[in-house]
Amino acid sequence: MNKFNLLNINFGRAAIYFILFLFAFIYLAPLYVMFTTSLKDIEEIRSGNLMALPIDPTLYAWKKAWASACTGSECKGLAPYFWNSVRIVFPAVIISTILGAFNGYALAKWKFKGSEFLFGALLFGCFIPFQVILLPMAKLLGALGLANTVTGLVLVHVIYGIAFTTLFFRNYYVGIPTELVKAAKLDGASFLKIFRHIFIPLSTPIFVVTIIWQFTQIWNDFLFGVVYSGSGTQPITVALNNLVNTSVGGKEYNVDMAAAIIAALPTLIVYIIAGKYFVRGLTAGAVKG
Amino acid sequence: MGSISLNGINKSFGSTEVLKDINLDIKDGEFLILIGPSGCGKSTLMNLIAGLEDLTGGEIIIDDKDVSEESPKDRDIAMVFQSYALYPTMNVARNICFGLEMSKMPKNEQEVILKKVSSLLQIDHLLDRKPGQLSGGQRQRVAMGRALARSPKVFLFDEPLSNLDAKLRVEMRTEIKKLHQRIGTTIVYVTHDQIEAMTLADRIAVLKDGELQQVGTPYEIYNDPVSHFVADFMGSPGMNFIECIVKDEKLIIESGGEKYELEMPCKDVIKNSKLDVVLLGIRPEMLTEIQPSVEKNSYIHQIKFDVDVLEPMGADTVAIGQWNESEVMARLSPESGNAAGKGFDLQVDTSKAILFDPNSGLRIR
Amino acid sequence: MLNFLEKNLPKIVLAPTTIAMIVCMYGFIVWTGLLSLTKSRMMPQWDFVGLDQYVRLFKNPRWDVAVDNLFIFLILFIVIALVLGLLLAIFLDQKIRVEGAIRTIYLYPMAISFIVTGTAWKWILNPGLGIEKLMNDWGFVGFEFRWLVEQDMAIYCIVIAAIWQSSGFVMALFLAGLRGVDDNLTKAAKMDGASTVRLYWHIILPLMRPVFFSAIVILTHIAIKSFDLVQALTGGGPGYASDLPANFMYTYTFNRSQIGIGAASAMIMLFGVLAVLIPYLYSELREKD
Repeated sequence: MNKFNLLNINFGRAAIYFILFLFAFIYLAPLYVMFTTSLKDIEEIRSGNLMALPIDPTLYAWKKAWASACTGSECKGLAPYFWNSVRIVFPAVIISTILGAFNGYALAKWKFKGSEFLFGALLFGCFIPFQVILLPMAKLLGALGLANTVTGLVLVHVIYGIAFTTLFFRNYYVGIPTELVKAAKLDGASFLKIFRHIFIPLSTPIFVVTIIWQFTQIWNDFLFGVVYSGSGTQPITVALNNLVNTSVGGKEYNVDMAAAIIAALPTLIVYIIAGKYFVRGLTAGAVKG
Repeated sequence: MGSISLNGINKSFGSTEVLKDINLDIKDGEFLILIGPSGCGKSTLMNLIAGLEDLTGGEIIIDDKDVSEESPKDRDIAMVFQSYALYPTMNVARNICFGLEMSKMPKNEQEVILKKVSSLLQIDHLLDRKPGQLSGGQRQRVAMGRALARSPKVFLFDEPLSNLDAKLRVEMRTEIKKLHQRIGTTIVYVTHDQIEAMTLADRIAVLKDGELQQVGTPYEIYNDPVSHFVADFMGSPGMNFIECIVKDEKLIIESGGEKYELEMPCKDVIKNSKLDVVLLGIRPEMLTEIQPSVEKNSYIHQIKFDVDVLEPMGADTVAIGQWNESEVMARLSPESGNAAGKGFDLQVDTSKAILFDPNSGLRIR
Repeated sequence: MLNFLEKNLPKIVLAPTTIAMIVCMYGFIVWTGLLSLTKSRMMPQWDFVGLDQYVRLFKNPRWDVAVDNLFIFLILFIVIALVLGLLLAIFLDQKIRVEGAIRTIYLYPMAISFIVTGTAWKWILNPGLGIEKLMNDWGFVGFEFRWLVEQDMAIYCIVIAAIWQSSGFVMALFLAGLRGVDDNLTKAAKMDGASTVRLYWHIILPLMRPVFFSAIVILTHIAIKSFDLVQALTGGGPGYASDLPANFMYTYTFNRSQIGIGAASAMIMLFGVLAVLIPYLYSELREKD
């Protein structure tokens, strides 16, 4: 190995590191900008630029974004809508996950004539553009008296989340040896007992993946939120969009940024804490298909 | 107590017929082995007996009770799987008692049985461990313990030793045999290993393509096979098969560059078959070096044999050569094997030779 | 009775989901499809007029813009995200020391809502105070960046934001794929004297074909469904210059009370997704045989 080669190798690796770090910076930049902008006052924003650090950081924007910013005709900040999202997300995640678990278990280990076809038909639901069901679903919610309600939104998220949750659980359970089911049958266990005593104890990883995936999808949803909620029941994404597009007085970019971060915080925190499960959810669904 | 009658069993998956008209009676307390090549249907038959699959036709009777429609848990059967199928999140104690738990047996009674079973199988020091913390042999025992705990009428074993290394396999084989001698429950055991079959079975049932070829004791299967397939399946190295021309109720073979006529013990059979060509079946242990101590009769022949390949196996040496241009294996003592080459003096004992119809593969009697 | 329940429990468990799927997925698609064949405007009117709405749709200049935008978006988004994702994955696969941290950074954008992304980038690309001002302050006097409010360029802002959000995911897919390559293959190639570049080009990349296809299907799906990002980043503007089909559908259905055309546009979106999905599934299933 002559000196030239050594240089070459080091140069190559240095270039790789440089590019990787460059992109890391690019990916982080918007977050940095959002954060710094949210701590500046309006004067500074107008006179300074995107990358400048706040001279005199203030929490004014945050307080306003949370409690008093205008989201259309109301000026209560994001707080009420934050809690709307919470009220929507929790039941929707729990119900869709539990249903997915039962469905996945039945489809993976208790196959019957047509069960694979059923699975395929259900899988299709992961792919349809929701535009094709928007209007009829609105009619259905209206007929059920659930238009513009949190319950209605929960129902919608559950129905359209089942395809994903079932996919996750079914693929996971397929990987568990069927001989366990046979042994349990011989031991006299029923469908439910086998689920409870054997499969559920093995399911912690997939529960985590599914819950994180559903939480992220539903918290971040905008389409269903904007179509199916009324002015008091909007989730935070809808409220954020309203806030940013309402410019009573002048545009307060700092408030906009603070509001955006507030909306993004829950899923970001979940990602930071349990990120690897999130990735597993993303790649599992895609690679196995 | 644990007798099984399989009457006219048929099983099809869609349009594929996997088992065709199986009729078999298994006596109470018998150790019956189902053997056959991959895909012969032995595991399917096992699953049918257990109730894990539904019958397409026929009936299964256990102790005079028709259980064909019963679910597995109502048949009073226990099974040991090839992969053991131990419940991964439960400790050994719970694994063993799970069946009892499902039948709502009181805790204290479960304890009694657990103690009995775990000391019988010498796993009482492992009760708190999870399956993931056990060795292959230990898992095997726990799987057997789980089956034993339920005191079933019949034990089903589905290739339980396939996942063990060779030495462990021999150990566990002996354990299973001792277990059977001790508790005497009927055992139906599936394997593809003919040594296991020969050593463990009271009777062996040979399956091929979903049909029973022969059912008999190991001795019968080995020495009195009904077809070429059965004869070929049992024995290692396997039986030699050579096509021979018949002349005056003797068989012509060409070996070592010379022609010989072999005397056969079943002259009438040959005559009655009216065949010009038969398939001669003769086991390698009947082809040896010249043994002066053996009493000479008309069935002991001495012929020239060109050895192409030698395979020393320790206790004997297998010598491979040709008769009638077919490959033939002989079993020589290690000392004779050393020197064997072209023109070796081979002793051929045809007293136990078997004849087959070269077209149908069936035994000529 | 109990026996019947036990034997059919798997089917009973799957029943609610099956019903929901039949009604809320397939049933609704049929409903929307039928609606697209009527002359409905504000309310559903079941007067069938054949393909009239589709004709009107294709003659609609706003739809034209939306479809053009979709193609621009699709091609740029997919190509750049693929190349970027692949490159970053290859670099990350080179035994980088801080791989975990870098991966986390590349992926976090997937955890946040498209609304948040749109809001952040709306600020970053702000004509007067965003990148333009930043570049001016850094010395590039006279630098202009007003794409956000330029008719022809607004769509490219959406492309940029979408790539920022999703390329990390593509990277994760490729990284998983690269990691799945048998070590022995790489060793054999090195023994045969392949340089790193040729190793990747001739051996590893061809093995990545299934990942390419999965990524393309998923990215296409994301692109066709893109609604949130447009709403937040440009609102479809200026005017409707950066509209995408999903936004068109929403506007015409819910704002303009033209549900017939809205339904037609939704059906076209569905066909678009199917056009990519069906060949992909077909080739996947064929390979399995």
